[in-house]
Amino acid sequence: MREIKIDANFKTPRQINSELKKAAKEYKRIIIKNPNAMHYIAAGLTEPVDVIIDGSAGYFVGTMIHEARIHVKGNAGWFPADNMTAGEVIIDGSAGDGVGQGIYGGTVAIKKDAGSRTGEIMKNGTIIIGGSSGFMTGLYMMGGHIIILGNIGDDAGESIIRGVIYVLGNVKSLGKNAKLKEVNENDINELKKVLISYGFQLDDNKYFEFKKIVPLSKRPFYGQESEEG
Amino acid sequence: MCGIAGVVFKDKRIHKVGDSLTKMLDALQHRGPDSAGFAIYGGLGLANDEYFLNIEVKEKPGLLEKVKDTVNLVTQIKSEEIIPSVENYIIYRCIINLESFSELKPLIMDIDRIENVTVLNGSHYFEMIKDVGTVKEIAERYGTKSKLGTHGIGHTRFSTESIVDRYHAHPFQSYIIPDITLVHNGQITNYWKIRDPLERKGHIFETTNDTECIVHYIADKLSENYTLQEALEKSVKDMDGPFSYVVGTPNGVGIAKDQLGLRPGVMAEDDRVFAIASEEVALREVLDTKDVEHISPGEVRVYEI
Repeated sequence: MREIKIDANFKTPRQINSELKKAAKEYKRIIIKNPNAMHYIAAGLTEPVDVIIDGSAGYFVGTMIHEARIHVKGNAGWFPADNMTAGEVIIDGSAGDGVGQGIYGGTVAIKKDAGSRTGEIMKNGTIIIGGSSGFMTGLYMMGGHIIILGNIGDDAGESIIRGVIYVLGNVKSLGKNAKLKEVNENDINELKKVLISYGFQLDDNKYFEFKKIVPLSKRPFYGQESEEG
Repeated sequence: MCGIAGVVFKDKRIHKVGDSLTKMLDALQHRGPDSAGFAIYGGLGLANDEYFLNIEVKEKPGLLEKVKDTVNLVTQIKSEEIIPSVENYIIYRCIINLESFSELKPLIMDIDRIENVTVLNGSHYFEMIKDVGTVKEIAERYGTKSKLGTHGIGHTRFSTESIVDRYHAHPFQSYIIPDITLVHNGQITNYWKIRDPLERKGHIFETTNDTECIVHYIADKLSENYTLQEALEKSVKDMDGPFSYVVGTPNGVGIAKDQLGLRPGVMAEDDRVFAIASEEVALREVLDTKDVEHISPGEVRVYEI
C-alpha cells in the first residue's frame, strides 16, 4: 500500500488540504503528523483514501468528504464529518457539538463522549457515540441512525422527522415529536452488525437494553398524517 | 468569535502564568485579531495597603505630569513604570498606597476625568495587561511571558459590536468587589434587563459593552455572598444570548456557557494544572489533552485554590 506522511507543523489548513488532495490521487494511505487540533482538516476530500490524523483535530474535520476514510487518533472539536455524503470518520477520543451535522451518508464513530446536537439535520448515514451525547441529539433529524452507548441529554430527538436514535443508557428527556420504543429483533441484529464492525464490544444481553427514539409523526408542524411520505 | 482561556496551577505556588496564557492565547489567535488581554493573579506581591494602577496616557506634553499630580493629591506614588504602546499612547503603571479598597474607584474616576487619559485598571492581587494588536505583539510589548502568578485568564478579541481600543479589550473588571475580572466570547441579548437593576443598586457602568455588564453582575452576586459556582449558575439562568465566559478571582477561575451551547468551551486537567479554553488547541499548550471535556450547554465549572 502506498503511504505518505504530511507534517502539519507551521502549515495552514489550506496548505494541508491542498497537499492532502494532491497526495490522495497517488497514495492509498496518508498520515497527517502534528495536526495540533487544527480546523478543517480533510475538508472536501473526495478520493477513497485512508487518512490517519495522528493527534487531535479542530472544527469541521472531514466536512463534506465523499468516500474518504478518516481516522483521528485524538479528539475532535465541533462538527466532525459535517455534511459528509459517503465514507468514514472515526475519532478515538471525544468530540464537540454537532457530530455528523447534516450527513447524507457514511459512518461517524466517536469512541468517547460527544457534545450537543449530535446528528442535527442528518438525512442518512450512521453516527455511533461510544460514550454519552449532549442535549438535542438528533435535532431536526430527517433520516439515518444514531447509536448512543452512554446516556443522552435533554430534548433527545427534538423535532425529529425521520430516522432512529438508539440509546443504551438513560434518556434525560425527549424533545418535541419524539417518542421512546422498545427495540425489536431486526434492530438488535442491525445494531450488532454495525457496532461489531466498528470495534464496539457489548455482551449479547446488553443489546436487549437498547431503546429507540423515533418520531411521533412525520408531519408534526403542518399537513395531515395521511400525507406522510 | 473571540478566544477565551483560563489556567490554574493547583499547587498554589508561583509559576510562569504569563507564559502559559501567552501560548494559550496565541493558539487561539485565529479567533480574534483585534486585541488581547491577560489578568495574571498572585504574582504582584503587594503589601496589604498597596494597589497597582494601569493607565493609558496620550503622548502629549504635560499630560503625564497631570496624571501624576492627580494621583499625588490622594496618595504618594511609590514606584512607576512607562511602557510605550501604539497610536501615540504610553501605558503608565504605578504602585500606590490606599487605606482601603473603597478609595480605589473614586481615584480612578478622578484620573479618568483628564482628557486623553483612561485608567485601564486598578488592582491589588492581579496584573492586567491588555492592548490592541496580536497576542505575540502584546506579549512582547509588556514582557508578558516573564509574568508570574498562581492562575490567570486571557482573551483574544474579534469585535462584533463595540469599539476596538485598549479599554474595550478584555478582561473587563468590576470594582464592586476587589480583583474580579472576566473574559467573554459571545453576546448578551438581554443586556439592558441585566444592567438596569445593577445601576439601580448604584453600580457604575463605564461602557455599553456587554462584557462589562457580566462582570458587574457576577461581582454583585459575590458581594451578596454567593460562591463563584452559585453566581455563575445564576448568571446562566439570567443571561440570554450565545455566550461562554471565564471569570478570574484571587481564589481561582470559573467558566459558564449559555443554555443552548452556542459558544464553545473545553477543559482538561491533570494533577498539576486545571485549564479551560475555547478550543483544545489552547489546552494543548499547558497539559496533555488526551481527555478533553466539552463544557455542556448551561454548564458551569469552577476551580479554586
